[in-house]
Amino acid sequence: MNEMSQFLAVNNLCKEYGGCRALHRVSFGLRKGDFLSLFGPNGAGKSTLLQIISTLVSPSSGRVEIEGFDLQEEPEHFKKQLGVISHQSLLYGHMTARENLIFYGSLYQVEDPAERADELLRTVELYPRRHSRVSRFSRGMCQRLSIARALVNDPSLLLLDEPFSGLDQYAAAILTEQLGELRSRERTVIMVTHNLDRGLAAATRIGILTGGRLAYLEDRDSINPSAFEELYFTHVHGACTA
Amino acid sequence: MSGFWLIVHKDLHAEFRKPEAVVSMAFFGFLLLVVLNLAIPLGAEVSPETGAGILWVAITFSSVLGLAGTMSREKENRCMDGLLLSPMSAESLFGAKMAVNCILMLVAELSIVPLFFILYGDGFFHSLPMLVLVVFLANIGFAATGTLFSAITASTERNEALLPLLFYPVVIPLISITVKVTGMIFQEAALAEYVSWIYVMTAYGLIFSGLGFLLFDHVIRE
Repeated sequence: MNEMSQFLAVNNLCKEYGGCRALHRVSFGLRKGDFLSLFGPNGAGKSTLLQIISTLVSPSSGRVEIEGFDLQEEPEHFKKQLGVISHQSLLYGHMTARENLIFYGSLYQVEDPAERADELLRTVELYPRRHSRVSRFSRGMCQRLSIARALVNDPSLLLLDEPFSGLDQYAAAILTEQLGELRSRERTVIMVTHNLDRGLAAATRIGILTGGRLAYLEDRDSINPSAFEELYFTHVHGACTA
Repeated sequence: MSGFWLIVHKDLHAEFRKPEAVVSMAFFGFLLLVVLNLAIPLGAEVSPETGAGILWVAITFSSVLGLAGTMSREKENRCMDGLLLSPMSAESLFGAKMAVNCILMLVAELSIVPLFFILYGDGFFHSLPMLVLVVFLANIGFAATGTLFSAITASTERNEALLPLLFYPVVIPLISITVKVTGMIFQEAALAEYVSWIYVMTAYGLIFSGLGFLLFDHVIRE
């Protein structure tokens, strides 16, 4: 890929935890508007990769750049463009849904956090419950609010770590709709998932991470969906027996 | 509003809504003052040094209850990750948490200090203006150290039990200086006699605030 057209560049990323190698020389680039679905078995390093890109964890070596800005050197510039949906909601239980979104919107210096909060609450269909404390929300409602929280700064890069896990059908439909809307607005997305069908349906690029290495990375168009499951198992099995 | 003020506002609003930290700090301080008062014979005068010791035992032991709370609130749903993902700097976050701890300690002291004067005689009341300065400087030292150590222990399972074990050994120099200065103030000693200790208290606060600003990002991430 042409270096100039890259929105996100990950170069030779390595991460070790006390001698245990979580990531080994992972490199890839994404253009603006790319949607990368990243598959891999448990312990492959998928969440670690997202944590490094999201600035929560420092890499042992290697670089991550977004629009040419180095993650390590200019994290504040990087963070303004970032949205994250993780296993945890990152929401304050003692605050209401609206207060949570206004708080996060203000942290990201969104122009009118209250208006943005109301807009997102309508999007995730939690507006009627905007004054309810998050501690009283069901898991599905928390997940929907978590989606709104991740979108509060209208991120250029969205990182999704198993976003569909624990979602009911309704919340999953809202998330799918939002992901489609993000794609139409040229937002770049990296989604870690175990669900091959959902991952293939949403993506423009497909990656398989196994044993801390990026074993496979291709454009979605070049992949035959019916043969992908076999391809996936070949890579995962190959890494396990290597 | 900057990240600093947002965190201060959020934490104080949460405390105002459900005043767990301040109430437990004030109540524990109150209990300590009452229990220690039982050890003094009826009608006996309390010496300035003993009075200073009693006051700071109540303040330091109660303060640790609040110090743990401000950071453990961020453990819920991994909200700390939400803050670290935002463009706010770790220095602003440390400053905000330290300011919140200072304010909570101050509010608790507003009930502990008057009760001290009621239980241990109004003979010490003349020293109130200088005592306010000493309390302010001690609060900065306690809050800086406590915020840093509560960040270190926040990721552990039993952070509220671990915090005092790490916190007290480090603040013992500050506690002993504070007790000494307070005793001299209660004795109506001249300012020149203890001003050097005031400088040491100021230096302690500055050093641990500086350490907190430098180390907080590393401590909270690793």
